[in-house]
Amino acid sequence: MMTLYEKIKALYPSLQDADFMDTIRLQNDSDGKGDYIAKWEHPTLPKPTEEQLA
Amino acid sequence: MSIVTVQGNASGTGTLTIASPNTDSNYTLNLPAATGTVMVSGNMPAFSAYASAAQSVANNTYTILNANIELFDTASCYNNTGSTVGGIPAYSFLPSVAGYYQVNAAWYSATPSGQISSSIFKNGVAYQLIASSFSSVGQVLGVNCLVYLNGSSDYIGFYIYQGQGSTYATLASRPDLYYFAASMVRGA
Repeated sequence: MMTLYEKIKALYPSLQDADFMDTIRLQNDSDGKGDYIAKWEHPTLPKPTEEQLA
Repeated sequence: MSIVTVQGNASGTGTLTIASPNTDSNYTLNLPAATGTVMVSGNMPAFSAYASAAQSVANNTYTILNANIELFDTASCYNNTGSTVGGIPAYSFLPSVAGYYQVNAAWYSATPSGQISSSIFKNGVAYQLIASSFSSVGQVLGVNCLVYLNGSSDYIGFYIYQGQGSTYATLASRPDLYYFAASMVRGA
């Protein structure tokens, strides 16, 4: 099963690791809800939709 | 001469007792010329917890440390479970007294590539963060900060991050390597 990071990376291969410490923040609060996009402020790429990440 | 006034509360019914220790010597408590709330152990929350089990940390994903074993939790303000308890989110500290808190946290990583990070999140958002390049021989990355918490809704959590390219598993049974602690250092 792909992680959220892997799904996003497959959707946008141009993303770099630094993007995930800066304009994008993936988060897991260990509350049973799993990984989620806490912040998406990438200057050019739109935030993926639920359908794209399904 | 200045005046010392002891004032009761009009709506309260309890008795406030100022007790003397068992001593034959004389002592003086000097009060500062300032307004504020006297802080005693009963209104200065503090806790310390560590993670006892291995934890998976997905690549490039800020993941809260599952610090599930409490060394102490003086005011029951830390939630050491994976569910919200009493309004406190999972593995978070939500103190019941407003003030400034010293926070100390660290984790161990031996990722062979990428960056690692230790972050204190306040109310789900990064508050203070420290990052480092990987170290395949391993390193403990700690973060320390002072944070104001309002005593009613503000909470903090310790988030760890790694970017080795795949999911990383932390070590089990190392209370000295994966910990999260905080204590009030000053009232509001």
